[in-house]
Amino acid sequence: MDNQNSFLGNIRIALGLGAGEERDKSHYPALFSSPDTGAIVARMQNRTAEEKEELVNLFQENARALGIHTHIALTDSDAAGIVVELIRSKEPEFTHTKHIMQHDHPDIAALQLWKRFNREAVTVHTTFSADSELREKTITSFIGITAPVIGVADSATVIQFTTPGQPRSTSLVPSIHLALLRRDRLVADLSEAYALLGEKGYPDSFVFISGPSKTADIEAQMVHGAHGPREMHLIVLPAADGPLGKKEISL
Amino acid sequence: MNPTQSSDYRTAAVAGIGSERLQKSLHGLQDRFGKGAMKLWAGMEDREMRSRVKDSRMRTLEHLDIILAELAKNVRARGGQVYFAETGQDAIDYTIEVAKKNEVKRVVKGKSMTSMEINIDPALENEGIEVVETDLGEYIIQLAGDKPSHIIAPCIHLDRNQIGRLFTDKLGIDYTNDPPALTLAARKALREKLLSADMGLTGCNLACAETGHISLVSNEGNIRMATTMPRVLVALMGMERVVATLAEHREALQLLTRGAALQKLSTYVSFLGGPAAEDDPDGPQEFHLVIIDNGRCKILADPEFREVLACIRCGACLNICPVYGKIGGHAYNSPYCGPIGAVITPLLDGINKHADLCKGETLCGACREICPVENDLPRMLAALRHKLAYGSDRWNTRQHNPAEAYAFSFWRLLVTNAFLYRSFIAIGRIFQWPFVKKNKMIKKMAGLASGWTAHRDLPPIAGRTFSELWKEKYRTTRPAGPAAKIEEEK
Repeated sequence: MDNQNSFLGNIRIALGLGAGEERDKSHYPALFSSPDTGAIVARMQNRTAEEKEELVNLFQENARALGIHTHIALTDSDAAGIVVELIRSKEPEFTHTKHIMQHDHPDIAALQLWKRFNREAVTVHTTFSADSELREKTITSFIGITAPVIGVADSATVIQFTTPGQPRSTSLVPSIHLALLRRDRLVADLSEAYALLGEKGYPDSFVFISGPSKTADIEAQMVHGAHGPREMHLIVLPAADGPLGKKEISL
Repeated sequence: MNPTQSSDYRTAAVAGIGSERLQKSLHGLQDRFGKGAMKLWAGMEDREMRSRVKDSRMRTLEHLDIILAELAKNVRARGGQVYFAETGQDAIDYTIEVAKKNEVKRVVKGKSMTSMEINIDPALENEGIEVVETDLGEYIIQLAGDKPSHIIAPCIHLDRNQIGRLFTDKLGIDYTNDPPALTLAARKALREKLLSADMGLTGCNLACAETGHISLVSNEGNIRMATTMPRVLVALMGMERVVATLAEHREALQLLTRGAALQKLSTYVSFLGGPAAEDDPDGPQEFHLVIIDNGRCKILADPEFREVLACIRCGACLNICPVYGKIGGHAYNSPYCGPIGAVITPLLDGINKHADLCKGETLCGACREICPVENDLPRMLAALRHKLAYGSDRWNTRQHNPAEAYAFSFWRLLVTNAFLYRSFIAIGRIFQWPFVKKNKMIKKMAGLASGWTAHRDLPPIAGRTFSELWKEKYRTTRPAGPAAKIEEEK
């Protein structure tokens, strides 16, 4: 801690204060005050059905430009069909066998992937915190499935929180990242997303993801798949209480 | 900065200008990103955003002691360790101590300018630790034993054929010059390194004091890999790379990714506040944030240069600078090149040592126009020139070129005294004759003046000056001269 004191002392001297003239943040309330986000939150809450639909379209349009494949699922069983088809049609990049790593999340569990591949060799793993082989399984998996907490239409971004059942590597190490997002988790832009983070809180680690990994380091030519996933799919699920207002029955 | 670098600005600049390949790449880069950023700013709905972010950056700097204390408190509350390093060497020593304690054999780096500023790689290698750059551009540079020449496009000076040959040589793949195939080869080679490294070493784009996070942007995913897979994470952060609140973070981030690559957001923005929680199945077991001064307090203390610490290191000024666009990044002889490099390099590493940088820029103002936080780099370049012209105790700068200073004092004497000036011109007319060649031009001058004729001929001092001609023509008809006529018409 001593080096902190002398370090901050040097800063104080540079700012024309005495080295020991410690300033308390409570005397500078404006420094850590943030603009009121009440209006932004109200805007999100009062969005009409048409406006919400428009957000989905906007996300899809912006996602296309970033190389994200968006699939709209009208029901949860639609979503399961889309996921199964993707798993069938894609080939592993680093291994010869098809392993899937999925986050421990109710929307993903509802896909019941474990019982959908009777005739093919597909192994489905679920992340759980006590799994000491999780790292190895994730490295072996060619698809990682996650369910982000927020989607941002304007920048085609999903925000993924790190929790014990939802580790960081699932959306990163496998060659294909597949994200499931409920319609009602879609917000218009970053100001809304940050307002939500401010309201609801955030964990020690989270990440904004806006597309597959890419690089343009060789002659400015865009190539997907530098170190992270080379492909990203986003499946938009119906809102939690269903498109028609009634509770959707999962599968 | 790297004390072993000593290549001369002029030599490197001449080499850059002479390289057709570099000229083509730089032109392409500036045409797309420089013009693109100017278009983005012009079309931005929220016109006040840039000045708002600048205000918040300056406010942060004015209260940096409070804000860094808050950041450190909140990172520690998340279980992270914070070390304040007064010098680059302190930061290196601390990092090596962490590496040794954890028996680190291999370090994977996420692109970090600060790590280059303090030159940490050789120090780690001296300890027998393998250091691998993971940003594709930086990796190529590392394989080639070269130096980066752009903040976000480090190997802009290399073409696909050179990279193809390099990969054949170093990675043992069959020759190809196809960027996707080359990227795939690097992906495979680096995946192995990323998954087996013991320590990740990154920079920090923007830390957020209020929440106790650092945030890192990347498109490739290498930084996420380097901060997720190794057991230990060390993030090096220049002390000014911090914002106070989450709200300020959003706006600064949006300007950063737009300025850097015209993106609303980079592919990944990682927020890291500490090590993995006890029941997290992945993520680093140790998280160290190293906050580095290394000369920044001196900049902070000088009102003339404090503004440069508001920089968010997007590199946009490189994409528009006519000088960078011709000479390329190597001439700057610093990890920070372009207009921002021409200001920050001398301030961090010695104004005399890097005297050519501020003199080489043109003060055209393009970097000020494009800067997302509206930093007045031309003003600071001129201020640096002032320090070189007159010397500065504060910056421990000696007069750069006393002979030039004498020449200009003499010139001042001449132009403020009509008799002396006319006499000098009269003498000059006589003494110039040996230098005037067949084409009636001066081809070569001696001493200090030789630079004027290095690339072009100069016309000699005219036989008679304009005022002499004027006097001669109108002496006899003075009352009816043109000026008198105009008077009459009025």
